[in-house]
Amino acid sequence: MRETWVVGAASTRYGKMTESAREAATRVSMEAIRDAGLEPKQIGHTFVANCFGLAEHQAHVGPLINNGLGIPEVPSVTLESACSSSSAGLHEAFVHVAGGFADAALVVGAERLSHLDTLAATSYFSIAADYPFETKNGATFPGLYATLASAYRNAFRTTPEMFGSIAIKNHANAARNPHAHFQKEITMETYLASPMIASPLRLYDCCPFSDGAAAVVVAAKEVVHRPTAEPLVVRASARAGAVTDMQDRPDLLGLPSTRLAAAKAFRQARLEPKQIDFLEVHDCFTIAEVMALEDLGFFPQGTAAKESAEGTTARDGKLPVNPSGGLKAKGHPVSATGAGQVVEIFEQVNGRAKGREVPRTETALAHNVGATGGSCSVHIFSRR
Amino acid sequence: MVDDSASALHSIADFVRGYETDARLRGFRCQNCSLVTATWGLACSRCGEPKLEEFALSDRGRVVAFTVLSVPGEEFLNDAPYAYVVVDLDGGGRVTGWMPAVKADSDLSIGAPVRFVPGYKPGVQFAKLPPGEER
Repeated sequence: MRETWVVGAASTRYGKMTESAREAATRVSMEAIRDAGLEPKQIGHTFVANCFGLAEHQAHVGPLINNGLGIPEVPSVTLESACSSSSAGLHEAFVHVAGGFADAALVVGAERLSHLDTLAATSYFSIAADYPFETKNGATFPGLYATLASAYRNAFRTTPEMFGSIAIKNHANAARNPHAHFQKEITMETYLASPMIASPLRLYDCCPFSDGAAAVVVAAKEVVHRPTAEPLVVRASARAGAVTDMQDRPDLLGLPSTRLAAAKAFRQARLEPKQIDFLEVHDCFTIAEVMALEDLGFFPQGTAAKESAEGTTARDGKLPVNPSGGLKAKGHPVSATGAGQVVEIFEQVNGRAKGREVPRTETALAHNVGATGGSCSVHIFSRR
Repeated sequence: MVDDSASALHSIADFVRGYETDARLRGFRCQNCSLVTATWGLACSRCGEPKLEEFALSDRGRVVAFTVLSVPGEEFLNDAPYAYVVVDLDGGGRVTGWMPAVKADSDLSIGAPVRFVPGYKPGVQFAKLPPGEER
């Protein structure tokens, strides 16, 4: 396998976009390619994520993006892995570049749902669950994670304030991120006063519906002669699956696909959790950040919420988690989210994360979950 | 070639017909590892063996996790708030469903006995068992 680098990255601000996912995807792709010091014609394959493209009456958007970049002859494919679609794209790009099938590849994720009302957007999200066995039985996306939160809070001693501390931390980070959907801090009073969406999840436990687009360019080390930015060496690119349905999971206290993908990734990278400097994890709900940190092996089961309340995962803490603000506050434009996590790591390593810098940036991990854990990607990066 | 001759439930529609018109919870049991599931498939999600036999699930069980939803999806627009529940059935099998009568967290608790009730609309619907009807 060839050593593979992330050499360029770009993102829109998350929130409400007036332009289409196709336009935003094309724009951030061009920016990421230029950021890498490359020309579009050097891209060998484009991997596109646009899970809910049908909400804009558009499928097969890859060739349209490549047309817009002036490279219509370059192959493209659209991948769907729910909320982990663009990290699945990154994995495919890694496989192509590391395996010698392309010297450079583009990964772009984009989503636009803000033109829909809350009910329609909730319904789009819920079709990523098992439609006949979960959605038709009353589940919504927050409802499924709320069920996991219910089991977790029944098993371990936690307080609402511990979960609130995660929301407060991620909002504080997002307030310093120009890409973030929410750019305001919140207080514990605001958190506790926010309405229940699906008990025990309050409004401020939940990520927003965001529009947005993010792109990264990966290339083989041997073809990048003069990187224009400090590259991220892809030390591991791992994915795993797991039983999707809540009713087929014997264990509701974590996500088995995270545990599997993490084990593979740490083995590939020949690293251990204690060697990772900072993380971007999949916190679509505060309970998801707690389970991620435990399933990835950073904290023993039942303790991550307390660690957050004690400041361990703050930007200046021992293990900074989601310096971008995470899905919770940076926002969650479904198909852009996985690529967006890598944009944050790239910006941190390149000194572009002004005002939200983490103290150490030698190694980083990105964790991205598809829906309630039917799929999961874990990527580990280091400096050269 | 997958040997699914032991399986009588060939379609998801068979499961849904169970909830809607036959008033029964259908399931599979793996002849190899004994896993009981209420989800359609051709092979066992635990051991991978394609030897699933039809299994009649109990209509009674206990709540292992639940949420009360204030913001419903399209199909349940006029029913919120309601509970979405994970239930471990007596005699094996775990099923998810909804409980229209549960309007607040205080109406239900983990461990509460419930029974499957054929609903006025699609989906697996549960109701609390009155104290006298507990096993």
